[in-house]
Amino acid sequence: MSRKSIGDWFAETFHLKDIPFMGVPTYMFSIEYWLGGIASAALFWQALTGLLMLLYYQPSDAYDSTMAIIHSVPFGSVLLSSHLYGAYIMILAVYIHGLHVYFKGAYKKPRQFQWVLGVLMFAMVMITSFVGYSMTGDVLGTDAVDVGKGILASIHLSALTPIFFGNGTDLDLFTRLLGWHIILVTLVVLLFALHFYLAEQNGFMPDLKEAKYKAPAVLRKDDARIKPWWPRNFIFMIGIVTLTWGIILMLPSILALPQIVDKVPILFSPYPGPSPTSPQASLVPAYPPWFFLFMYKMADMPFPLAIDVSMGALIPLVVLIVVPFIDRNEELHPLDRPFLTALFITGLTWLIELSIWGAGQPGVPVKPTWLLLVIIPPFIISFGGIYLLHFMWRSMKPKVINADPGEKAATSNGVEDRLLSILGIIVTAVAVIILLLSFSLNPITDGPLIGLSWSALLLLFSADVFIYFRYELR
Amino acid sequence: MGDVDQSRRTFLKSLVIIAGASMVIGMLRGLEVIVPPSVGISSFPLLQLVDENGNPIKASDVPVNGQKLAMFNYPLNNEPNYLLNLGNDSNQPVEIPATTVSIPATGQSYTFPGGVGPNKSIVAYSALCEHLGCTYPELTFYPPGVKASTFNGPMDKVIHCSCHGSTYDPYRGAAVVTGPTTKPLPAVQLKWDSTTDYLYAVTMIGPTIYGHTDDLSGGSPISGNSTTVKLMSNPALG
Repeated sequence: MSRKSIGDWFAETFHLKDIPFMGVPTYMFSIEYWLGGIASAALFWQALTGLLMLLYYQPSDAYDSTMAIIHSVPFGSVLLSSHLYGAYIMILAVYIHGLHVYFKGAYKKPRQFQWVLGVLMFAMVMITSFVGYSMTGDVLGTDAVDVGKGILASIHLSALTPIFFGNGTDLDLFTRLLGWHIILVTLVVLLFALHFYLAEQNGFMPDLKEAKYKAPAVLRKDDARIKPWWPRNFIFMIGIVTLTWGIILMLPSILALPQIVDKVPILFSPYPGPSPTSPQASLVPAYPPWFFLFMYKMADMPFPLAIDVSMGALIPLVVLIVVPFIDRNEELHPLDRPFLTALFITGLTWLIELSIWGAGQPGVPVKPTWLLLVIIPPFIISFGGIYLLHFMWRSMKPKVINADPGEKAATSNGVEDRLLSILGIIVTAVAVIILLLSFSLNPITDGPLIGLSWSALLLLFSADVFIYFRYELR
Repeated sequence: MGDVDQSRRTFLKSLVIIAGASMVIGMLRGLEVIVPPSVGISSFPLLQLVDENGNPIKASDVPVNGQKLAMFNYPLNNEPNYLLNLGNDSNQPVEIPATTVSIPATGQSYTFPGGVGPNKSIVAYSALCEHLGCTYPELTFYPPGVKASTFNGPMDKVIHCSCHGSTYDPYRGAAVVTGPTTKPLPAVQLKWDSTTDYLYAVTMIGPTIYGHTDDLSGGSPISGNSTTVKLMSNPALG
């Protein structure tokens, strides 16, 4: 008998050592290189929970069947609230991933099309979320569908109204919302596969200093520091995925705790709002989901809706798509691209300003003076500030580039190892205790606690994975 | 390997391209499968207003000043309307005269025929805000003494939408009082039978109902000769 571990047996049987994914140098095992991975992990969670809810959702009875998922289906409230927060986390992750890619100049040669795919997926994820949130049939979803029709009409696309929202009957509406939700997500998954394939083939974006801030910056496949994908990347990926899932489960489960749930503002409520025909519905401002608050405030601007929609969504989207084809020089440092960097920061500031404004003053029309007060200062400050930084950076750049990167050797010492082992034991013990406790919870009435216990199990597992991962790095 | 005849090769390639293009263009039409067959009706139906038990509504029974909001669908099932018996500050029905209502969006105008019923005080308007389609309970009638906060300050005797603040004047054909809406609420032309005191919905007047390309399509027809009036609590009264 050879003494083969289960892991080795597994790797051999499924040819894991031959998986054609690219390995990475040790320094890339840091969250900043895994932002896309977090978005993908959230996407995977969404597919999982969405498919399970497909077994219960009834377009003929949208609101009541949604409520039944929360109140009568075992673990249903965990599924529904984490599906909502999975979308939130995914959108946040996509924003951070996109900004990180922008600031590293990673959209430049050879990754222009990877960036375009990313922008398209971002737009599709936003539409998918809009549709998903309308599917509940609550008052917010109903308003969202009405606003959606108005937006289509304002840009002279009324012909699309029946395609998206059906022939006017409720049954057709919700059947179509469900259909589009699934169709769009399928397209996102297909584009994601292409995006991922391009990421592998184009090679990863190395540390900017290593690339001397010049495009094309590519981690070469024959780089001596690269170790095979299996098992290092696999283990780290499992840690990232379970960490993401743990957070996705934790946030709505805390908000859904009976002591808290009634105090949560509707924008962050883990559950759908009241039915559109209930009297409480009038107490709810007609909020969109938080990631569309900027659009809501745009609709309050003193312009026709078509202009609001163009300025709030269509023009920014076109700008994002054409960025890699306009900004084609080899500069990677954000301060070497002062115009675009200032534009991005201005746009991001506007997005945040409008969102907070929309949450604070929903539906309050904007006076032109207020508009100018909100729009102009960020513009002046970011352009002024970035150009100032640009000139400062110019003068110090040669020094920074030629400085010795000072290889940080991974040192390990016995004390740290022992401490981490003890931590691992504690983590595992807590996980087992939580596992046992969680079986005493009722899957229908104790949804929030079940969500919290699952979240804890995922996070503890993730912690153990990362503790173990240190050994793989040796 | 024999010699490749380049011209033949090009010829065959172009055949593939033509056949491929034919295939793609021919099948692209199939995308029409995503357009749903339209539903609707061909002309405005004459529908009697009845209560939830099917008994005819009497004009003199319609609550004055929206203490309860009476709602009915017309001409299609997804086109809700408010039935209002408008009154003065002491809740006595007042006559609503015919008036000319202008549509700021287009610059056109139309004639609103005024109220019906024993006091000529009963009117009906679409319950879908013409701005972005918010409906009951966000869009509601503010009776005398109950003020909505509008862009012209607090106002009563208006139909006001809390989604984006559009305000309409139900005493003048639901004309636009404040934006962001640029269209008045469409009105239901009502008929009152003075011998029986019954009410009927006859047709729609004014702009197209929100979310529809025309009033008669984009929703399922109302079956039978009557449409049900439901009494809802008025959210403006808290």
